[in-house]
Amino acid sequence: MHLPAGIRNYTYAQDMAIFRTKTQWVMFGGLIVLLAVVPLLMGNYWLSIFNIIGITIIAAMGLNLLTGYCGQLSIGHAGFIAVGAYTSAILTGQYGVPFIIGMLGGGLIAGLTGVLFGIPSLRVKGFYLAISTIAAQFIIMWVISQWGSVTGGYIGLNVSPAEIFGFQFTSQLSKYYLIMGICVIAVFVAKNLARTRQGRAFVAVRDNDLAAQVMGISLFRYKLLAFFVGCFFAGISGALLAHCYYGFLNPEFFSFKESILYVGMIIIGGLGTTVGPIFGVVFVRLLERLISLELVPFLESTVTALPSGWASGVTPMLFGLVIVLFLILEPRGVAHRWQMFKNSYRLWPFSY
Amino acid sequence: MADLLQYTITGITVGMVYSLIAMGFVLIWKSSGVANLALGQLVLLFSWFTYGMLAQTGLPVWLGLVVVVAFALLLGWIIERFVLRPLIAQPILSLIAVTLGMAYFIEGLCTFIWPWGVDVLPRLFPQDPIRIGTAVVSQEYLWAAGVSLLLFGALSLYFKYSRMGIAMRATADDQMAVQACGIPVTRIFSRSWMFACVMAAVGGILMSSIGGISYGLVETGMKSFSVVILGGLDSFLGAIIAGPIIGLAENLAGGYLTAYTWPGVKEIIPFIIIIIVMFIKPYGLFGESRIERI
Repeated sequence: MHLPAGIRNYTYAQDMAIFRTKTQWVMFGGLIVLLAVVPLLMGNYWLSIFNIIGITIIAAMGLNLLTGYCGQLSIGHAGFIAVGAYTSAILTGQYGVPFIIGMLGGGLIAGLTGVLFGIPSLRVKGFYLAISTIAAQFIIMWVISQWGSVTGGYIGLNVSPAEIFGFQFTSQLSKYYLIMGICVIAVFVAKNLARTRQGRAFVAVRDNDLAAQVMGISLFRYKLLAFFVGCFFAGISGALLAHCYYGFLNPEFFSFKESILYVGMIIIGGLGTTVGPIFGVVFVRLLERLISLELVPFLESTVTALPSGWASGVTPMLFGLVIVLFLILEPRGVAHRWQMFKNSYRLWPFSY
Repeated sequence: MADLLQYTITGITVGMVYSLIAMGFVLIWKSSGVANLALGQLVLLFSWFTYGMLAQTGLPVWLGLVVVVAFALLLGWIIERFVLRPLIAQPILSLIAVTLGMAYFIEGLCTFIWPWGVDVLPRLFPQDPIRIGTAVVSQEYLWAAGVSLLLFGALSLYFKYSRMGIAMRATADDQMAVQACGIPVTRIFSRSWMFACVMAAVGGILMSSIGGISYGLVETGMKSFSVVILGGLDSFLGAIIAGPIIGLAENLAGGYLTAYTWPGVKEIIPFIIIIIVMFIKPYGLFGESRIERI
């Protein structure tokens, strides 16, 4: 990593710092101010897009900790999100628990579910683990859609809006501040978790779990910890999805395709970086909106010769194509390009 | 008693079709170390393609099936050449993810071309029910099992006697050694994808001629993962034996457990078996357990 000319580190603390120059601090402050001010100028349409992006970033951060840092591929992330969403909705709706406790409860239960389905990771890895998380996805969604007396089954479940100390988050703007607040905390936690002993243990497990074990890293502890943390994030995201985005839950929101999309997001963004999932989520969610709200209706109305509904296949086709192309052409994702851009920017006008 | 016999026969015959699809997976895994998670979507695509050839284009059945097999061979070649070949020697995470991307694409493609989502395939087999003892079984199941057995036989002969088949077995054993002997490994990769696609196509045709075409076929393909896991990832024999076991478990559970649990328990049994196998014997019945060195 290049530092601007004249910047030197005199202590280890300086070397470890995320922000090392005044410019970086100013830009960070600017970003926070921007996040706080911009929504005031936007309409509900864009606010709802920002909200879904924020919620998705939380879940993608979790998946990135699990897959990008710890190397445990999970293709059942939508299932864990569903666990969080339903737990929180049921806790607040049927037991009258306050929203914050409900949300944390959703995260906790999702995390524990993740640990349960993560236990095979102690003995197997790679493809075996991928399959067991797929099985987790199908089993979770089956339980949710069949256990009608509690979850509402296929009919669905109404969810009350989020409420903190009597304030109800009903307008898009208030939801935005709630979601972005939690999202910023989640990014902060994820970024710093990756720099702690636990985060370094995750990376060691990812790179070679046997070598990590020989060096005294308990695989049992860190793999399950990774599953817990990753699915905890998913659960929090699910709770926000239930209370602040849909206001209504249906098993169809958490399909297997959604799980694939989460894996796609962190791949497009760049595995094992903090900024990567953010890029990936923004890219995928914006593309999704663009295609399903603009392109598909346009195609449907222009080309009428084909049987109706054909254009709804365009979205998955494009997403599949994007995932495959990214893996072939830029497996390190957008984050790598961003890093390259930053490096060349710092050196400009010199080439090295 | 009649019920039991009926569930058993249906389960074993359907399980054989699962075995067939699962063998395509094992073939690719053994030769190139790629886990093909797009299996369910491939089954769906080939079923729709068969529908397109037989019902929409109106080809005679034999010609239609020949075209389907040719298409399967071509698609297998394309997938290997343009998607997997650039990713040779990449980490397993990328290889799994790329098949997921492919799965997404193929499912979208099916919606794109056949947006109505549900249809029936023209009947390929006589369907008068026949009586075995006290059970009444639809003849189609027996035909499906027969076709599967025929393909198992043909494949084992191929692997035993054909030059290419022997080379493929050798690649599964030791890729480096095979390359050192001057056998083009990439050609073997592409051959294994082509064969796997044909098996998925035949499996898809058999399943959809019995149950019609719907997105449920994707889950049928996914059920073959449980066959693979139970039988062991790198064992053909495992796939052949585990298929009927899964089919049997599924049908018996569907028959006897539905009353005690929720409906749809039949669909979820294979996934529960996956989790159980993972806890007890993660490398399956016949799989080779890996010994890793640092």
